[in-house]
Amino acid sequence: MSTFEPFFTALGLAEWCKGEAGQANNLTSLADLAAKAKGEEEAILSIWELPFPSMDALHASCAAFPKSRELSKGIENVFLDIKDTLSLVLDPLTQPLSWLLQGALWLFETTPWWMMIPLLLAVVMLVGRSRILVGFVAACLFGFAFIDYYTFATQTLAVIFVCSMLCVIVGVPVGIAMSRSDRLQRTLIPILDMLQTLPAFVYLIPLIFLFSVTEPKLYGIAIILYAIVPVIRLTDLGIRLVDVEVIEAATAFGLTERQKLTKVQIPLALPNIMAGINQTIMMSLSMVVIASLVSAPGLGVLVLRGIRNLELGVGLLSGLGIVVLAIVLDRTTKLALARVSPSQNQ
Amino acid sequence: MSAVISAFIMISVGSTTANAACGKVSITEMNWASASVVTNVAKFLMEQGYGCKVTAVPSDTVPAATSLAEKGEPDIATEMWVNSAPVYQKLEAEGKVKTVGNVLSDGGAEHWLIPKYLAEKHPELKTIQGVLANPKLVGGRFHNCPEGWGCRIINDSLKKAFNFKAKGMAVFNHGSGDTLAASLAAAYEKKGPWFGYYWAPTALLGKYEMVAVDLGPFKSDVHKCNRKPDCSPKGISSYPSARVVTGVTTKFAEREPAIVKMLSKLSFTNHQMGEILAWKKDNNASSQEATAYFLKNYQKVWAGWLNDEARGKLAGLLK
Repeated sequence: MSTFEPFFTALGLAEWCKGEAGQANNLTSLADLAAKAKGEEEAILSIWELPFPSMDALHASCAAFPKSRELSKGIENVFLDIKDTLSLVLDPLTQPLSWLLQGALWLFETTPWWMMIPLLLAVVMLVGRSRILVGFVAACLFGFAFIDYYTFATQTLAVIFVCSMLCVIVGVPVGIAMSRSDRLQRTLIPILDMLQTLPAFVYLIPLIFLFSVTEPKLYGIAIILYAIVPVIRLTDLGIRLVDVEVIEAATAFGLTERQKLTKVQIPLALPNIMAGINQTIMMSLSMVVIASLVSAPGLGVLVLRGIRNLELGVGLLSGLGIVVLAIVLDRTTKLALARVSPSQNQ
Repeated sequence: MSAVISAFIMISVGSTTANAACGKVSITEMNWASASVVTNVAKFLMEQGYGCKVTAVPSDTVPAATSLAEKGEPDIATEMWVNSAPVYQKLEAEGKVKTVGNVLSDGGAEHWLIPKYLAEKHPELKTIQGVLANPKLVGGRFHNCPEGWGCRIINDSLKKAFNFKAKGMAVFNHGSGDTLAASLAAAYEKKGPWFGYYWAPTALLGKYEMVAVDLGPFKSDVHKCNRKPDCSPKGISSYPSARVVTGVTTKFAEREPAIVKMLSKLSFTNHQMGEILAWKKDNNASSQEATAYFLKNYQKVWAGWLNDEARGKLAGLLK
């Protein structure tokens, strides 16, 4: 395709183009082959068929110009070169996550059901103080156990519990830091946007090269990176939304910065922070199936089995199980929120 | 009058003996390399040789089989690994799909593999007894298929038959085929140990040389029981060569018998497919370019699949 050849000749690059063409362009396209089959010559392109001067189009006119696939190959080579150094840094940093997940899974799996269920109900009672909620949660747990989904449900609960806890522990301080610095907020917002929209598999497969695929931290990272965003955003929002006059009054009363944060800003921002925590838990549950694609145990495994084997019933039931877990956790955290800020109960 | 009518009839009968203009055809394109090549070759031959309008539908084994059953679409499902889709055999028995040919004539190869560098360093690992005697040398872990694959049931049966637990061999159940492939690649890149299941012909095995662990002879009745989740007792048997077929809907078979005849002949040996995939990897080519490579270099092979009219249309390429 000589569409852009005059362009290269005008720039005086004809020699450079031909020089690298030692490796003959042995990659024919199917379109060329079809034309050859019909016995046509390469048609002169009209203005309507003018190709965009993309890397591939320029390569066709000048063999030395790289093709677009060289870009993706280049990125891959860079990653393969730095992965050993990266893994030296990242592996120890993320090892605690692996231990926490393994510990939680072991705990939830070895505790017998007659200890686990009352314990969970006790926690719900403590947090929510509502007998209706405890009754609902008990019905759900007994339902799971009755249809032999107990192990899967507790595995999912363990994973969600650890990941949400870590999201909150890391997310709230980051949100607070963001609320105090406009520059930090400007830097972090695009990163948060990317974390929510970048498909998880895009960074998960390279992570398999860094860590071993059998490590739980792989799906832990997948869930945390996706679910941490609401709590960061809403903490930042909540603190920024505190009335300026209240802050002024606090300054007038002689409170230090730290006291202002802990005694005024955070308590007033608590509804937003709790909403953020609630959303974080919901988003970690939504990642359950993707986590199972990278070997997380739990209800996601059943969903995938249902999809792959066309066992529609299994897929539906396990999907509904995830929904039920979501409702249980949502109601519990909402009731906790109502207790924490009685003036803002839903 | 009757002469006119009979002449009319003769003309219309005469016109149907030539290749009736082929209509719209839909064909699956499974999401792995060899399937992509097969679909693109079939698509090119149907479009250029038979004048069809072909749509390639990206798909996977089980969804394709279901779609064939429920909707009668797409018309052609190629590279169906029949062992991985028990639902396909059910459809075949019910007469909803027709298997027209073995698209991989040698059958797919399913094995338990270790990397070549490991087999060279420790030749005793080439048999399963050697592996189970030295589990640490292969990493102490067997990489198993995801839930929902046929090989998962077979591997789970075999792990019980070999008594992995007692021999200290852990089993890691992968969540998806992608993580299974990535774990193999990651281990190979750092020249570490790896022991697990994979199948050929695939781009992955074309890129990373692996050696099959000898599981002993193939025993048909033992394997049949291993394939069913509820059957017992489980025994030891290696994998047979997997049937990889092209299936069409019965409606399509009636509509386009010429195409079905071509598809029944369309097949690749593992050697040919391996060569194409290796060329593809070496030249960093796309599936379409790999198809063009096959069409340019294996003319004797594909010319034999076509009928005379199609061969005539593609004469430009058969020089």
